Amino acid sequence: MKLLSIVFSVTLAGILFTGCRTSAGTSVVMNHETGGSVIYEGNTRLHNSVSVTAVTYDKVPAGLNRVNIQLSSLIQRSQHLQYRIAWFNAEGMEIDADTRTYRPLVLQGLDTVTVTGVANSPAAVTSRLRLREWRAAR
Amino acid sequence: MNATVNQFIGLVLLAVFAGCATAPRVYESELDRTPLTTRIEPQDIRRTVEKMAESLIADPGVLDATKGERPVLDIEPMKNRSQMIVDMQSITDSVRMRLIRSRLFRFVDRSTSGADITIMDEQAQLGLTDRRKAIRPGQQSAAQMYLTGSLTDMVTRVGRVTDHYYKFTMILKDLRTGEIVWTDEQEIRKVANRPML
Repeated sequence: MKLLSIVFSVTLAGILFTGCRTSAGTSVVMNHETGGSVIYEGNTRLHNSVSVTAVTYDKVPAGLNRVNIQLSSLIQRSQHLQYRIAWFNAEGMEIDADTRTYRPLVLQGLDTVTVTGVANSPAAVTSRLRLREWRAAR
Repeated sequence: MNATVNQFIGLVLLAVFAGCATAPRVYESELDRTPLTTRIEPQDIRRTVEKMAESLIADPGVLDATKGERPVLDIEPMKNRSQMIVDMQSITDSVRMRLIRSRLFRFVDRSTSGADITIMDEQAQLGLTDRRKAIRPGQQSAAQMYLTGSLTDMVTRVGRVTDHYYKFTMILKDLRTGEIVWTDEQEIRKVANRPML
């Protein structure tokens, strides 16, 4: 009986912890024409550990849009994260989706970092930062 | 009760060994997956290419050097000074693709010059092409700058820990002045802990 309860508990714990690996993260959508930004948080753990503290826009000398996003850690320990900045045209379609990569980001405890993205086309008017936990990648 | 325990253990073992089927489990992985080794992997190349292209696009020095015109660039394959076998040509090809797609740069391609001459010769000599429309040699754009770079690495092993550091460096050199008008680097550091057993 004791063995059965141990095996059952281990199996249940395995199922529960497997379910904790989610690829949902924090998204910041930035409209470079209106200057507005909206933050979507789809992961409670990430919501409690990282905060988007500032978003600024400018243009590079060649005329392409650039975005700077400041991220702050809300916890003491280091976090291994990945971020991806995608760009969209006026119709809301992503430009060259395949060429945008997830970049690694190690956020030290209670530290603040700024990530930057440059548009990959003059047609890009909206950008979106997607932030996820490192273990969300397979 | 013993029978129930045995049945449960039997089911667990069945579930475990079901994964031991002979055919390999193959699935489409995302391009930016977690690292498998401390070697250079596709996601490292993709990140490096993205960073280099963004850095080059954002740099004011390139447009200054060409007085605001879209510069014509060429590529000199990057040098591999690391211990790894990496297709360096592929990296510069990817950077070129990104820069061309940004519509801010133009490129010439020396690697296909032989084919250019063959096609022009055929247009001039075979008699199949309208002579007024045939392309004559001597009209191609001249590269004003060229893009090149290198990859270096450094390995440290302490006990069961392997620390592998890589550095990609790229430069853009002005052919007329010989000056480097842009440079950037991408550093990658990977650590592997070998299991005890």
